[in-house]
Amino acid sequence: MSDKKQSRIRRHRKVAYSLLSLLVLTLVLPLIPYAVAEKDETAGKVFNPGTELWRDVRQRDRDVIGTTQMKSVDAGVLINEYGETWRHFRMQQLVPYGAALMGIVLSIILLFYLLRGPLRLQEEPSGKKIERFTVFERTVHWFTVAIFWLLALTGLILLYGRFVLIPILGADGFGITASACKEAHNLFGPTFLVALVLLFLTFVKDNIYARGDMLWLLKGGGMLGGGHVSAGRFNAGEKIWFWIAIIGGLVLSVTGLILVFSILGQSREIMGLSHVLHGIVALVVISVSFGHIYLGTAGVEGTLGSMTTGYVDEAWAKSHHDRWYAEVKAAEDGSDKIVDEPGLATEGKS
Amino acid sequence: MFKHLVDGIFWDIALWVFTIGVLWRILSIFLVGNKKDLSVARTTGMTGAIAANISRFFPRSEMQSRTRLHVIAGYMFHLGLFALLFFAAPHILFVESQTGLSWPAMPYWAFIVTAQLAFVGLLLLWIHRVMDPVTRLISSADDHVGSILTFIVMLTGCMALLEGFEGLRVLHRFTVELLMVYFPFSRLMHAFMFIPSRAFTGAWFGRRGVKA
Ligand code: HEM
Repeated sequence: MSDKKQSRIRRHRKVAYSLLSLLVLTLVLPLIPYAVAEKDETAGKVFNPGTELWRDVRQRDRDVIGTTQMKSVDAGVLINEYGETWRHFRMQQLVPYGAALMGIVLSIILLFYLLRGPLRLQEEPSGKKIERFTVFERTVHWFTVAIFWLLALTGLILLYGRFVLIPILGADGFGITASACKEAHNLFGPTFLVALVLLFLTFVKDNIYARGDMLWLLKGGGMLGGGHVSAGRFNAGEKIWFWIAIIGGLVLSVTGLILVFSILGQSREIMGLSHVLHGIVALVVISVSFGHIYLGTAGVEGTLGSMTTGYVDEAWAKSHHDRWYAEVKAAEDGSDKIVDEPGLATEGKS
Repeated sequence: MFKHLVDGIFWDIALWVFTIGVLWRILSIFLVGNKKDLSVARTTGMTGAIAANISRFFPRSEMQSRTRLHVIAGYMFHLGLFALLFFAAPHILFVESQTGLSWPAMPYWAFIVTAQLAFVGLLLLWIHRVMDPVTRLISSADDHVGSILTFIVMLTGCMALLEGFEGLRVLHRFTVELLMVYFPFSRLMHAFMFIPSRAFTGAWFGRRGVKA
């Protein structure tokens, strides 16, 4: 290739590169201000003083605590956004799901009663009675029941009164009822802890898991199939109720105390969470208590007498708590009956 | 209307029935007099009266385990109710509005705690009364009405704690009036009679040199 031709090609290449660079620069250069501008977050934004004020007040997307001379938790927070989340939970979930839970449990109990009827004794009542609960045990039981229902009723009125009572009493009437229930609920709350401690100490020794409980559970306590399943003083179902009442009751008491003693320095979030837990556990324990009440009254023939008079018919004891019956008889006879295998009370010497 | 009755004529009636009824009951007991004591007096009887009044505050040692619940619940209820009745601020304010008399009130937290003690005590006592076959047998309708009325008065009082609704205050006052009317005709009179009746028994035995 001649020198002249080579220099012409080089010149064309230079022109092409120059034009290309010019094109790139023309496209890129105007973008630089945009790139720079994006680094400044506030650049280009138009402030609306009203919006900003409300955002600060509600502290929706930033954590701004104002200054105030008031000395209390969250005193510098004008509106707590978390309250809205809590309110939403209470109205949209706790209220309807809680009502559904109680309604379903009551319907199942009713259906069960209509289809199956009460559980009858295996044999005719013998007329011979044995002591099942002492005076102290029964006093503790009914004391707990009294406080439990005072709290449950006042609590349910506070949760559902808006829907059930306002149409009947009117807004003013319900205002009075709600105030009365709130004061009673708060005053009686701590006394439930006293009842719980008494209930625990009185009944715990016979509510520990024992051999035969699993079998009882697997057979559905005799409710599903036919016939009766062997059990000690308390069957597995009663033991489960005992622990639900104790643990549920403890959660209710602790969360309740957090809510009542708002002066202890807990934040609104803790109070909100306590309320959520308090509501859920209360509705669960109340629903389960329906089952306990049914089985203690209409559900099982001859049971209520055990908690009112303290005595049950021997036939009842043999039907529902055969191992306990054998233990009582063994103690009465003075002979040692080894009650080992579920359902079998065998004579023997220790 | 109801409010005016409760704050007006009902209150007047209740106060009269209570005052005259209590005085009449006390006088009628004292006016019956004693049979002449023909025994030779070992002491004046005063020592026995005082000793019985003090010793009755403590359970007998042989009975201690059987009466534990009774003693504890009994003290909780009676002391709680006493403090509640005489040292709760709203009660003192009420007495002041009626008589001009006033004395220091206990703090709010103590008011609530005494109310709780009284409630626990009363519930335990009443449930125990019904559960124990012996106390059930010796209890008459009067005992149950007295316990239930007292419970209702305490409950309406606790429901009015906010002091924000006239209706709740009126309800509480109305139940108090019912209790005041019932009081002189019932065993609730023991509130006035427990000291003289202990003294009488203590003196009677004391004069004979027997510990009551
Ligand atoms: C009106 C409501 C209630 C009724 C009619 C009722 C009735 C009964 C009856 C009849 C028994 C004796 C069962 C047996 O002999 O095996 C019993 C046992 C028991 N109840 Fe209730 N009850 C009621 C509410 C409650 C409540 C609210 C609680 C606790 C919060 C409770 C806790 C217990 C316990 C712990 C036992 C002993 C059995 C065990 O420990 O599992 N009950 N109840």
